[in-house]
Amino acid sequence: MDLAFTPEEQQFRDDIRSWVRANLPADIAHKVHNALHLSRDDMQRWARILGKQGWLGHGWPKAFGGPGWSAVQKHLFEEECALAGAPRVVPFGPVMVAPVIMAFGNTEQQQRFLPGIASGDVWWSQGYSEPGSGSDLASVKTRAQRVGDHYVVNGQKTWTTLGQYGDWIFCLVRTSTEGKPQTGISFLLIDMQSPGVTVRPIILLDGAHEVNEVFFDNVRVPAENLIGEENKGWTYAKHLLSHERTNIADVNRAKRELERLKRIAKHEGVYDPRTGGSAAMRFRDEIAKLEVDVVALEMMVLRVLSAEKSGKNPLDIAGLLKIRGSEIQQRYSELMMLAAGPFALPLIREAMEAGWQGDQIGGFPGGATHCAPLASTYFNMRKTTIYGGSNEVQRNIVSQVVLG
Amino acid sequence: MDFNFTEEQEQLRDAVRRWASKAYTFERRRATERSGGFDRGAWSEMAALGLCGLYVPEAHSGMGMGPVEGMVVMQELGRGMVLEPLGQSLISGAVIAGYGDAATQAQWLPGIAAGEAIVSLAYQERAARYRLEQCEARATQVPGGYVLSGSKSVVPIGDIADAFVVSAKVNSQLALFLVERLSSGVTTRGYGTQDGSRAAEVHFKNAPALLLTMQGREALEHAVDVGIAAACAEGVGVMEQTLDATAQYMNTRQQFGVAIASFQALRHRVADMKMQLELARSMGFYASLKLNAPAPERRAAMARAKYQLGVSMRFVGQQAVQLHGGIGVTDDYIVSHYFKKLTQLEMTYGDTLHHLGEVAERMQDTAGVFA
Repeated sequence: MDLAFTPEEQQFRDDIRSWVRANLPADIAHKVHNALHLSRDDMQRWARILGKQGWLGHGWPKAFGGPGWSAVQKHLFEEECALAGAPRVVPFGPVMVAPVIMAFGNTEQQQRFLPGIASGDVWWSQGYSEPGSGSDLASVKTRAQRVGDHYVVNGQKTWTTLGQYGDWIFCLVRTSTEGKPQTGISFLLIDMQSPGVTVRPIILLDGAHEVNEVFFDNVRVPAENLIGEENKGWTYAKHLLSHERTNIADVNRAKRELERLKRIAKHEGVYDPRTGGSAAMRFRDEIAKLEVDVVALEMMVLRVLSAEKSGKNPLDIAGLLKIRGSEIQQRYSELMMLAAGPFALPLIREAMEAGWQGDQIGGFPGGATHCAPLASTYFNMRKTTIYGGSNEVQRNIVSQVVLG
Repeated sequence: MDFNFTEEQEQLRDAVRRWASKAYTFERRRATERSGGFDRGAWSEMAALGLCGLYVPEAHSGMGMGPVEGMVVMQELGRGMVLEPLGQSLISGAVIAGYGDAATQAQWLPGIAAGEAIVSLAYQERAARYRLEQCEARATQVPGGYVLSGSKSVVPIGDIADAFVVSAKVNSQLALFLVERLSSGVTTRGYGTQDGSRAAEVHFKNAPALLLTMQGREALEHAVDVGIAAACAEGVGVMEQTLDATAQYMNTRQQFGVAIASFQALRHRVADMKMQLELARSMGFYASLKLNAPAPERRAAMARAKYQLGVSMRFVGQQAVQLHGGIGVTDDYIVSHYFKKLTQLEMTYGDTLHHLGEVAERMQDTAGVFA
């Protein structure tokens, strides 16, 4: 048992760190470090930089043009990117649909779709959730009816993150109503430029256009876009969900944001009891609790990685990672907002853009000019315990392991 | 970065688990509790397994093992709800080997390893709460050595131990001494503690004392950190059993015609208990893997670990009682004993609020396991 990474792993980390330092555009890192608005261009610029290096699909095996990294190397890569202020890789292409195409797609599909995902040129969206489906994913109602060499798709997807930018969308569609709900689902790739596809924004509580509704009205999809077999889509979807088990905890971002929370608290005078008095003492205790939460989460992630590395029984704590990781995301965003106090309240959308030079209300460490992102981020983070299988659904899964 | 146990560590675990489950039954524990909270027979059996000498160097007939082995052993003793405080052997072994001179080592370590000499850490004072730097006991130099005066509270098996590692100030400097219980000027008043084990008030009045080290603060912090890592591992063992017992009970107990394990409100509580157990296990690993780190890093790690363990142990203990309902508050059934053990562990070597303060005090600009 050893906490330290091996010399080879350390070297790997150092190499990644130098590369990220040399290649991550400073304007993008500035936005990430200050929770400012990231444009489509920002996200895609970073995706293409990674793509050029062959690292956008950093979890891919060598056979498909990936680096073939171990679970530990992937973790170190993600950590270095997060700490440096790189945007999260939009996961729908490289992390979600690509492994399904690799595992269940045919050679033709692999050759057709994987290069665009690896380079960052093609933007993918996820078409899983539907109105009313919530965490009950198998209740898919969007119909795909086989007509000759096409499927005709009718229905609606929702909560489609960044779907307004999507070139393609991978969808769970119902191809049969026989048997259990899980058995009649198929996995279909749909060109979002197809006639009959309509994307409508859903504005979230922070005012951001992050998610969408996607409507399918007699959309004709070539049958060659079906992944694997008809009615086997549920199996493929589960494969996707089991992928990247530790990724969901997002512990690396939590470390970065905890450091940022400390800077904000310091700036707002609620970090040092010697100068900030009892209010600072109470606030510092709350940060201290979060500090332990983050270390404990990181230790859990490392335990999972260690188990993967040694090929022993995988630890059955993925549900715990999701619950804890999301709670921590909510907590740091909450504490950041509370640190700024009333100065987090003015709602000035322009202040979410980099370089804004308006009224200095509050002031903000790190070069941004306003505390506005703090409240917005807090409001936005409420999603984390709801999506990806709500935390209550995760608790059902965890209790199943303990109680049977 | 590797959290696998070696084959030798697994064998050690199996040996201790076998002993605890076969030889250390709930009935034997109850009998020990009734007769005062310490069974020298059980102590000898642990010594025969090599446990008392776990941290005693091989040159002094010990096992010369490290924190991971200590964790493995303490976790099993926690699972077995063993009353005899092996942690005291780990502490005295580490402290005497780390700070005692050659003669002291030769005099005490083989006996500690053999289970014949029981040495307990006597550092807590009524006015100090959990603060290590606060100490009213005084030692003064006399021809041929030191004499020590003062009172120490809630000293594990204080009226049974053969000697104490005692903190006392020489002028204004904290030092550690070794004082034998049967020396002149030592009086003890023993009692049972809430978890069924035994402790004592120990009073020293000009008792002859052997100086272990004048680096008392450093050595006492080290001693307490060995204790914290041991308590964390022990707590994980107790929580494993507590959660197991709760799961079994919930699948058996019928209410409204069904097993109570079918109720979602209760299932979610169990998921939260599992969360606390796994967080605690993770931080138990962390504590043991940081026990040999440089002092500032080690201290910060122990505070983080003990804080997490405190939160987890209180939650798991309280919820286990609640989920058992009425039988959870009876003395007959083992869950109340788990709960009391977890409570006592939380309040040993610094409780949760104390360690939260330590974490807050030591906070750096960076974050995470490797910060």
